[in-house]
Amino acid sequence: MNKTLLGYVPNESPIYAVHPFVKLFFLLIVSLFPMFVESPEWNILLMVATIVLMWLSKVDMRTLKIYIPVAISMGSIILLSYTVMGGTHPEFELLARLGPVNFYWERVRDAIVVYFRVLPMIFTMVFFLSTSRERDIIVAMRSIKVPFVATYIFAMALRAAGMVLEDFQIVRQAEKARGYDPAGKSIPYKVRQYIMYMVPLFALSLRRSEEFTNALVARGYAFTGSASKIKRADYILTHYSFKYFDYLIIAVIAVSFIALLLFRYGFGAFATEESVLLSLLYQALH
Amino acid sequence: MELTVSNVIEIKDYSWKYLNTSAPALENINLTIEEGSFVGIIGPNGSGKTTLAYSMDGLIPGQYNGIKKGTVSVFGKEVEDYERGELQRLVGVVFSDPEAQFTAMTVEDELVFGMENIGLSIAEIQERLDWVTELTQLGPLLEKPPYEISGGQKQRVALAAVLAMRPRVLILDEPTSMLDPMSRERIFNVLIRLKAEENNTIVVIEHSLEHLVRLAERMILLSNGALLLDDSTRNFFRQTEFLLEKNVHPPGVIGFFHELSRMGDYEGDPPLDVEEAHIRLQKVLQGGKKG
Repeated sequence: MNKTLLGYVPNESPIYAVHPFVKLFFLLIVSLFPMFVESPEWNILLMVATIVLMWLSKVDMRTLKIYIPVAISMGSIILLSYTVMGGTHPEFELLARLGPVNFYWERVRDAIVVYFRVLPMIFTMVFFLSTSRERDIIVAMRSIKVPFVATYIFAMALRAAGMVLEDFQIVRQAEKARGYDPAGKSIPYKVRQYIMYMVPLFALSLRRSEEFTNALVARGYAFTGSASKIKRADYILTHYSFKYFDYLIIAVIAVSFIALLLFRYGFGAFATEESVLLSLLYQALH
Repeated sequence: MELTVSNVIEIKDYSWKYLNTSAPALENINLTIEEGSFVGIIGPNGSGKTTLAYSMDGLIPGQYNGIKKGTVSVFGKEVEDYERGELQRLVGVVFSDPEAQFTAMTVEDELVFGMENIGLSIAEIQERLDWVTELTQLGPLLEKPPYEISGGQKQRVALAAVLAMRPRVLILDEPTSMLDPMSRERIFNVLIRLKAEENNTIVVIEHSLEHLVRLAERMILLSNGALLLDDSTRNFFRQTEFLLEKNVHPPGVIGFFHELSRMGDYEGDPPLDVEEAHIRLQKVLQGGKKG
């Protein structure tokens, strides 16, 4: 596994043969799929398909464990927002009443629909981050002619985030070296400590931005003036070329998206009324 | 035919005071650096070495606020008169903290960034990339993120990134301050090759004098913003007593022969490296005081 600023990527993977733009295209388009799908089973299918793609791409599946608490807490928040804090709706079908709180079937159904819409989106993002190095994102943007300044600012933001994380680790280690151990302390105490971390981190960030600016100037980079108007070659792009299967994958994704829109709005497919899973749940709750 | 040596950097009556500081960082500096020379600059922390390096690359006054007196000319032109980005093609600076100067996501991107900025073609970039990768032995690291490699490798990447731009003057600001002896050796090996093969003008600010004296033809001592000593390396270390007064500790061999001189057992120039010291010591042991 190789560490990137955004996570871990496999050392070797068949996905590396795919052009970085295709991966970005997959992320941008496939993560839109659940927006047009209400039936949870279809979104679960998309999620399973994404996990299979991760497995085929030799992503370390153990890393998925870290997303389980995220999935559980997100699901709980969505369910609570829709049910306990969902308000009173006389027009909805009441399932149960717990004191002043009414549980309506429509709100439970909507919570499930939303939850299973968000999950595949997250998995698509995880798939992208688990198979793309930082350079891939930059290459993907540059290959569709996003201006260099925009891609470079994005790269600098990634780099800056990485530096802040590194500095944060250094500050934490320095705290620990001086006997600070947050284990067993209360949450307000830990929050106060985090605020304390911010002071050296802020000072370090200021110093680093000065050094970073100096490095940019020293390397002849200029945002303005005649130096900024020089036509720059994009050497890194010479390492990447679109192959026939890249076009094929892009076509498959694009056609799938168009088909999805057609089925959704032309034939009313993927609606809650069509959902077998929701129908079974409805029967179970009654 | 008369051979003329041109001055690439001319500093006249130069003083620089950062905004909101009481004392000037540099005061009344007069200095010329000739084309193709290898100059070592030493001095205690806070003596103005980095300020001098930044002044020669135009980072001062370009990037900093302060009060400037006197002139700093590079290739006959005042640094302020250069267009933004123009001077940096002529003068390259390697900073002491390699981590802070990385601007890209892989070592290869880092090396080509400067070359892209100065408008080189893909073919030229490829050619220079091959050259600098071979020179600094960075081939196996090209695909790696620069923040994942070791400190010595990082500094070689920083050096290579500047070298790839082929500046006519190369300034290295404490390039080995964060490195272990092995990594330090590797950096200096690159400088040895550069001096032998490329004839660049090289200015090295360094605390590691053992390596520097073997390469530098000329040494400069800065202290409290003032230029205290500027001479050929051998003449420079003839004044070891003065250097010790200024808390500059010469390399071991020079210190050893200085002690021999003080005890009256040696007369002559201090040797600058172990090989030279060996020959002189043999003579001393054979009974002759003069090395």
